[in-house]
Amino acid sequence: MSEFGFLPSFPLPSSAVLLFGTLMLAGLVGGWAVERFLSLPRIAGYVITGLVLGPGGVSLLDPGTLHDARIFMDIALGLVLYDLGHRIRLRWLVRERWLLVTGVSEGFAAFAAIFAVLLFIGEAPLPAAMAATIGMASSPAVVLVVARDLRAEGQVTERALNLVAINSGLAVLVFTLLISYAHLEQDAGWAVAAAHPAYLLLGSALLGLAMGLLGIALARWIGKREDAQLILVLALIAVTTGLARQLNLSVILALLALGVFSRNLDRRHAMLPVELGHAFQFFVAVLFVLTGASLRLDALLPTAMGVGLYVLARLVAKMTVIGTLSRLSGLSFRQGVLLGLSQLPMAGTAIVLVESTASFYPEFGIRLAGMVFAAVALLEILGPVATQVAFKLAGEAGGAREQ
Amino acid sequence: MTEATERLVFKRSEPFRLGVEIELQIVNTRDYNLSRGAPDLLRLTGKQRHAGEIKPEITESMVEMATSIHSSHDSLLRELLEMRDLLVRGADRLNLAICGGGSHPFQKWSEQRIFARPRFAHLSDLYGYLAKQFTVFGQHIHVGCGNGDDAIHLLHGLSRYIPHFIVLSASSPFFQGHDTSFASSRLNAIAAFPLSGYMPFVSSWDEFNDYFRTMQDLGIVESMKDFYWDIRPKPEFGSVEMRVCDTPLTLEQAAGLAAYAQALARSILAEPRTAARPDSYFVYTYNRFQACRFGFDGLLVDPQTRQHRTLREDILETLASLEAKAAEFGSSQALGALARQAESRQNGSAWLRDAMARAGSLHDVVRLQAELWAGRLESDE
Repeated sequence: MSEFGFLPSFPLPSSAVLLFGTLMLAGLVGGWAVERFLSLPRIAGYVITGLVLGPGGVSLLDPGTLHDARIFMDIALGLVLYDLGHRIRLRWLVRERWLLVTGVSEGFAAFAAIFAVLLFIGEAPLPAAMAATIGMASSPAVVLVVARDLRAEGQVTERALNLVAINSGLAVLVFTLLISYAHLEQDAGWAVAAAHPAYLLLGSALLGLAMGLLGIALARWIGKREDAQLILVLALIAVTTGLARQLNLSVILALLALGVFSRNLDRRHAMLPVELGHAFQFFVAVLFVLTGASLRLDALLPTAMGVGLYVLARLVAKMTVIGTLSRLSGLSFRQGVLLGLSQLPMAGTAIVLVESTASFYPEFGIRLAGMVFAAVALLEILGPVATQVAFKLAGEAGGAREQ
Repeated sequence: MTEATERLVFKRSEPFRLGVEIELQIVNTRDYNLSRGAPDLLRLTGKQRHAGEIKPEITESMVEMATSIHSSHDSLLRELLEMRDLLVRGADRLNLAICGGGSHPFQKWSEQRIFARPRFAHLSDLYGYLAKQFTVFGQHIHVGCGNGDDAIHLLHGLSRYIPHFIVLSASSPFFQGHDTSFASSRLNAIAAFPLSGYMPFVSSWDEFNDYFRTMQDLGIVESMKDFYWDIRPKPEFGSVEMRVCDTPLTLEQAAGLAAYAQALARSILAEPRTAARPDSYFVYTYNRFQACRFGFDGLLVDPQTRQHRTLREDILETLASLEAKAAEFGSSQALGALARQAESRQNGSAWLRDAMARAGSLHDVVRLQAELWAGRLESDE
């Protein structure tokens, strides 16, 4: 036995690198197949690949493996949220006030519509409110990646990205407030109820601010070298994501804040607009395969009616509000409707929210959790298609990846 | 084919009246790359009344402003500034910016999108990658002419001064991310087109018509639009159209160049008319190259006097000789400003290279370019 010690011992030890590579390969094959044979966006293919490989499918990716792969998901999400935040120009949002109003209104409209539907089918108010909050946000990753893949440019794309940033931030805000309300309901006392959201919101924003200022200072020192600044940005993203996790802060908020502050406080334009394209290619495939793997379709059938109502209420609310208010910010009605359609994808991060809520607040209930899961699953596949169709019909898709 | 063989009629127009067309760059406010903004911008500006015209160009990251006809520099500039303010307001609403300059410093030509119009689709089919590489931005100056023969005479007269206009408008030192070492790299992008350069030597409107008809019969051209010459007659406007200028960084410069063309035209048509000589074109491409490459320091060879001197000297001397004409048109100040630029060798390219040296990245150069064009630079710094 000992003379064969050079041979690997079985079962093979797990390897994060191997996992990363395998996920990329699987995503590549699945994404390509879906794009080629079904003419769907690549990300829908990644998600389907994940679904097939995950616990809901052939179980190649078990929950343990998914946990190991968490770090890749974090980095990918960090890239997406930073990039999104960096696209927000506060001066424009202030000047084009109606866009900001649209973002806030459509978020609350989606909340109200979903909340009403859930109450109607007999859910308890607080859990229903939490589930409704999750529906406020559109998926930053899907909208951004579809826009990048299509090289979409124009008002629908530009505003879609701004809306996602607004409704994602808003959803975190409302969700945090709901958690503090839940604290009260559980007789946790005012101190905890007030301190929790304050810590989460202020802490995340301050972390983003501090890292943004650090980035600007370092960029001044390094000078305008594209290669060095790319490393700077990637490092900032990783450090902010890691710190947010360690400090129990909101990764979404911290990374959005990092992007927004590092752009908008950089008065002397020390930071270059670095192109994250290549980094994106690596991580996005992995992100969506993993998202797919953590989706479960088994809850879809028993809750089909609820899921249908949830998705429909959300879509109608978003499209109506965005379609109507967009006229006020100078878009045509058609552009407004397409802008509304682009917001269909639901954030994969909702899964994490549901899981953490369910563990902290057991009344949330298996049925409701299952419904949100199923809605996310449905919209992870339909969402990218909707966003792609919206950008294409708006005439904003580029021709680089043509035929 | 009946229409094709009709002779071109040169529309009579008031001599020395001016009109300009200016192609502008639409950029995003994130990395200041060219951005597909023309359709949205045109929709916004289309809702408001204004003099002149704002229209699409071949790629969707380009718009063109065209003025109405003016007899004075001041009214031309006023109209240009009004249109600018309209465009800037529109761009502000769309999170876009607009700038002058003959080229975009770092855009990739392969990423440009052809505007969906039949003529543009046709050009794209015909010229292939040249159509996209033609993502350069120019100013066209129209000077009114009383008749076709005057136009041909004026065209030959102005051709000697083409290098002046190249140098004074030059604002395309960077192309595809690099310093080209040229003052105007834009004209290199035009040189690849089959009907670019200068008009073949003809000495009357009738001769021009014969040439045009021959080209039509040979199936080479359909209309005057197919000629990409540095200067060409524009019979339907009754003007001579100068097309060598890079879009300057400011509209003040654009109006100044138009005033210069106006004064020159007056001077050329006022002099006793000698027959234009074909040998004046022997030096044409040499002088043109010198202007594009070296700017104010380029050499100008005068075929008549056989003198060599720098463009800077030649421009200063010409401007001095035009003082009386300029006073007549009320453009002394505008021409004075051009003279000061020649004195200090300052043109758009010098400004852009200086901006690059100070700011350190081409993204910043375009940002500053856009602020300068919008008239916001002084107030911001």
